[in-house]
Amino acid sequence: MNASLLAGEALAAVVQVVALALGAPVLLGLMRKVRAHFEGRVGQPVVQPLRDLRKLFRKERMRPDQATWIFPAAPVVLVATVAVAGAISPLVTTRPALGGSADLFALVYLLLIGSTVLALAGMDSGTAFGGMGASRAVTIGALAEPALLVTILALSFGAHSSNLPAIVQATVLHPEILATPQRLFSLGALVVVVVAESGRLPVDNPATHLELTMIHEAMILEYAGPDLALVTVGEAMRLALLLGILVNVVAPWGVGAADSLPAIALGVVALAVKVTAAGVALAVFEVFTAKMRLFRLPELLAGAFMLGVLAVVSGLVVR
Amino acid sequence: MTAGVMIVAGALAGVGGAALGALLPQRLRVAGAASLIWVACALEAVAAIQVLATRQPVILHSAQLLPMTGVDIVLSPFGALFVLLVALVAAPASLHAVGYARHGLDTRTAAAALPLFVTSMLLVPQAGSVATFMVLWELMALFSLMLVLVDHARSEAARSAGAWYATLTHAGAAFILVAFLMLAAGSSGQTFAAVAHHASRLGPVVRGSAFVVALVGFGSKAGMVPFHVWLPKAHPEAPGPVSALMSGAMVALGVYGIVLMGYVLLGGGPGWWWLLALALGAVSALYGALHAASSTDLKRLLAYSTTDNVGLSIMALGVSGYLAATQHRLLAALALVAALVLLINHAAFKGALFLSAGSVQHATGTRDLDQLGGLLRRMPQSGAMFLIAAAATSALPPLNGFIGEWLLFQSLLHGSGAGSTAGDVAIPLAVSAMALTAGLTVVAFVKAAGVGFLGRPRSAAAEQAVEVAWSMRLGVGVLVGACVVLGVVPGAMLPAVEAAAQSALHGMPAAQLSSGLDLQLAGVRGALAPAEVAVALVVAFLAVAGLRRALARRPAPRLTEAWGCGRELQTARMQYTAASFAEPVQRVFDDVLRPVHDLDLSHPAESRYFIESATYHSTVGDVVERGLYVPVIRALRHWGRIARGLQPGSVHRYLGYGFGALVVILIAVAVLG
Amino acid sequence: MTGSFYASALEIAVSVVLLAAMVTLWRRSVRAIVRSLAVQGFGLATVAAVLGFHLGDPGLLVVAALVLGAKAVVIPYLLTRLVRVDPGSRETQPLVNVPASLVAAGALTFLAFAATRSVTAVVPSIAGRLIPVGLASMLVGFFAMFTRRKAVSQIVGLLLVDNGVALVAFLATSGVPLLVELGASLDVVLAVVVLQVLAVQLRTRLGAFDLDQLTELHD
Repeated sequence: MNASLLAGEALAAVVQVVALALGAPVLLGLMRKVRAHFEGRVGQPVVQPLRDLRKLFRKERMRPDQATWIFPAAPVVLVATVAVAGAISPLVTTRPALGGSADLFALVYLLLIGSTVLALAGMDSGTAFGGMGASRAVTIGALAEPALLVTILALSFGAHSSNLPAIVQATVLHPEILATPQRLFSLGALVVVVVAESGRLPVDNPATHLELTMIHEAMILEYAGPDLALVTVGEAMRLALLLGILVNVVAPWGVGAADSLPAIALGVVALAVKVTAAGVALAVFEVFTAKMRLFRLPELLAGAFMLGVLAVVSGLVVR
Repeated sequence: MTAGVMIVAGALAGVGGAALGALLPQRLRVAGAASLIWVACALEAVAAIQVLATRQPVILHSAQLLPMTGVDIVLSPFGALFVLLVALVAAPASLHAVGYARHGLDTRTAAAALPLFVTSMLLVPQAGSVATFMVLWELMALFSLMLVLVDHARSEAARSAGAWYATLTHAGAAFILVAFLMLAAGSSGQTFAAVAHHASRLGPVVRGSAFVVALVGFGSKAGMVPFHVWLPKAHPEAPGPVSALMSGAMVALGVYGIVLMGYVLLGGGPGWWWLLALALGAVSALYGALHAASSTDLKRLLAYSTTDNVGLSIMALGVSGYLAATQHRLLAALALVAALVLLINHAAFKGALFLSAGSVQHATGTRDLDQLGGLLRRMPQSGAMFLIAAAATSALPPLNGFIGEWLLFQSLLHGSGAGSTAGDVAIPLAVSAMALTAGLTVVAFVKAAGVGFLGRPRSAAAEQAVEVAWSMRLGVGVLVGACVVLGVVPGAMLPAVEAAAQSALHGMPAAQLSSGLDLQLAGVRGALAPAEVAVALVVAFLAVAGLRRALARRPAPRLTEAWGCGRELQTARMQYTAASFAEPVQRVFDDVLRPVHDLDLSHPAESRYFIESATYHSTVGDVVERGLYVPVIRALRHWGRIARGLQPGSVHRYLGYGFGALVVILIAVAVLG
Repeated sequence: MTGSFYASALEIAVSVVLLAAMVTLWRRSVRAIVRSLAVQGFGLATVAAVLGFHLGDPGLLVVAALVLGAKAVVIPYLLTRLVRVDPGSRETQPLVNVPASLVAAGALTFLAFAATRSVTAVVPSIAGRLIPVGLASMLVGFFAMFTRRKAVSQIVGLLLVDNGVALVAFLATSGVPLLVELGASLDVVLAVVVLQVLAVQLRTRLGAFDLDQLTELHD
């Protein structure tokens, strides 16, 4: 491997992380705007989340008196793991610098670090709400896991590898596999899992202000100032990353080799367009959806699991 | 010193440790025993490393030690890996035991039994014949039973745990013996080599039944469902270091036995053997993880989690055997490596967790999670090490638990669609079981760490806890260090594991994992670079922390009171308890867990519409125990009561029984002979 | 029709049939279940149409039109009316809870796949390989029939089984004779009408469609 290629890949990885960090809050703003539009409001500007973040970073840091080092460390760990996950995923290019060092399975577990540490931080505050949010969040995570891994298994069939760049590349080479039932079922399962993992409706209401109905918000209730800003960025990046992986599995166009600056720029633009489309679709869906009861969620996730199973079976049938 | 001399010297050091434990004054007993345990572990480990490096087995024979058969010691590379595994747990556990001594380990019996227990575990994987194996196996069971019972005088629970453990372990040994006899009958000798040679000529029915019987016998030692019931009873009652040894090392020897039977003696078998093992492993993993997620006793939680981890390893073993049966030899080797890596990782993190639980019990006097809390502030080092080990158990990268799960997933992924219909169906189901297990393990360990170590202390004992002695911390620290090192640089253990797998699979190719910094699977597309990921994580962490420091105006946070809906003066009772944390999982899986809820309301005399006090209990029993064992015990009791009629207490009757039996035998001899 | 387009169109249509069967287990609202039955009818009609185009068989196209009319429009419409009559039957009350039903449905799918391995081995055509999916939707229909309590959801279960049989027939023999399919479809329409009459009778007598209450009739 020559040096310029290596430099290109490293550059692409950095570009991916930066694009995630800056683009994710805008995506959040965009989704709020869509919601406001459907509710007949003007809504806040699309860049409002970025402004909020700037404001939060200037505020004072606070820590509950019972908390330990877990509490201040958790937001940093969250952002760091999502950033590493972003660096190894094929978002802008199929060959990011660390792309060979981990696969989809590793990616799932990298993202799991962030949610686990946040759950611990919720317990660390020593309040009722922290424990409540943590308990619900890890339960949902546990139930989403089978659907996720079975779907990964189904996706890996086509490429004979669980390496995400390999899966995306296989789709680029053989676009006709997109129209197979295997891919469609996988897509359905992935959408449900992405919604569950990123805490969107109908799993969790990100805009709720009532503690008892909160899941994610209850967990991070004690955060303020820069720490809250990091948690917000981390969660937004996770959503953007999951959507980015989803769109690149479904529509891998514009994801190229990172051999030149124009190629990387093209990749960024393509990614932005695709993720925006996915985000808008999700926001529209959320407008017409009510939050599910917590104990109806297993039904939703079992449905996703079933879709994953169907994907595996159709992979076996058609092969 | 040659390897053979070191093996003998190690065993003698263990016996010497027992002598020291029995003879030294109370203060020095455990330290004396521990020091010779280290010598024994070091000697055996060096011999094992030598065998793994040269791949030449060491063979010893002594006709004197055992009557009739003699003692055969054969240290193959496969056994050597398990010797290393036992040493990995035993050395830190005995260090921890020095600090833990006053909780029952400093009696003469316990201090003598501990080195003997360790020595027998070090020798079991070196046994080279049926008789040697069974003697060492039973010694291991006997000494561990003595250690489970150290608290028997004070605690009814310990007596009951001892009874359960003794029953299941001896029933298991009987099954193992039957399986060996099925294969050894008619063979030219009772060494494993002779038995393996003979077994290859046996019919499929005998081979199949021997495998299933051995699976039951070794499964009961490994804590496989439905033979796991002794684990959640015996592990909590045993002293911390002993439960670490039992869970980290002894349980792994159960899996050693299954590999010994399936691969070394029988040389592999048809797919259905291994799909049975795969199914039992998956059920164990799920069942263990579910119960771990709903336990409120720290050590009970860890015991169920042991069932979970061993289940994963048996799953990998099942996949390996199935792939070998369908002629995918490279993948079979990979899956066997996954099974062994899972066991080594389990030894490291579960050893650390049980030792930590011992430290907690030492510091607070309780292992009930709802009586703990806030321990990370009071025991910063022990707490942090518990958190790391818990993260490793939850398979979070870049710790070692992740490597094992990754290898298991890869072997499942590349094994699916490789063979028969049954396998095609079984493997996706196994992936789902593994995934749900992983999720539930996270629930269990977020609960254990969050309720036990974070938040406000829930009792006076937890409030006054102080950090434990350095020997205990160092014991845990060694194992936690192993979790980190094996996770970041798995290449450190993989050559040894591969050598072991190849020796068990004799004649099959090695898995050929490149043993550099990254894992590259040969023959299939799969790669992982844990070190790169770890470095990336550390760099990203530092960068984000630096960013926060640079952007924030006042870097040090201000301490405030937490939000309680406007209520001031929050107490520890407002926190989520372990039971309430597990409630959602319990509710989702109540068909399997069958929790029992009790709500007692008392009303004032004036009106039924007001409530004076309310108490709520929720307990989760073991469904297998209730459904399978209790009826058997009841039936045995019933027959026992009937049999009691035979015992009137009259000497003449007893003499009569003996006479009658003799006559019956003579008649039988006369008729049949 | 080119080969690969035919294959993926057929695969997707067959998947829709199975997915619709699964959705009837997933949703609790009887209306949603009836809707998914209509979707299944549509999928089945598409299967017939795709096969018809591929084989150039006009008879199959007629069957497709009939299936579309009967199973995607008429029967769902009748069932919707039935639901409208009795507000009490809007939610199914499953005897086996929804997540467990879905997991069971997944297991049934694997079972169908495993059981038809020997059949699919001898039928080399693209349609033949999809037979397990038809069997799976039949099994799911059976499962729905004996685990769902309301009369309407039982009728839906029956129809699912019928659709599954039709799907297997289409895939295995590339179409049942027109007359047979016609007769079978009419049969089912008749059965639905009869059941509807029965259900309305039940309601006027007992005030509910809950089949569990029928057990009380015997004393």
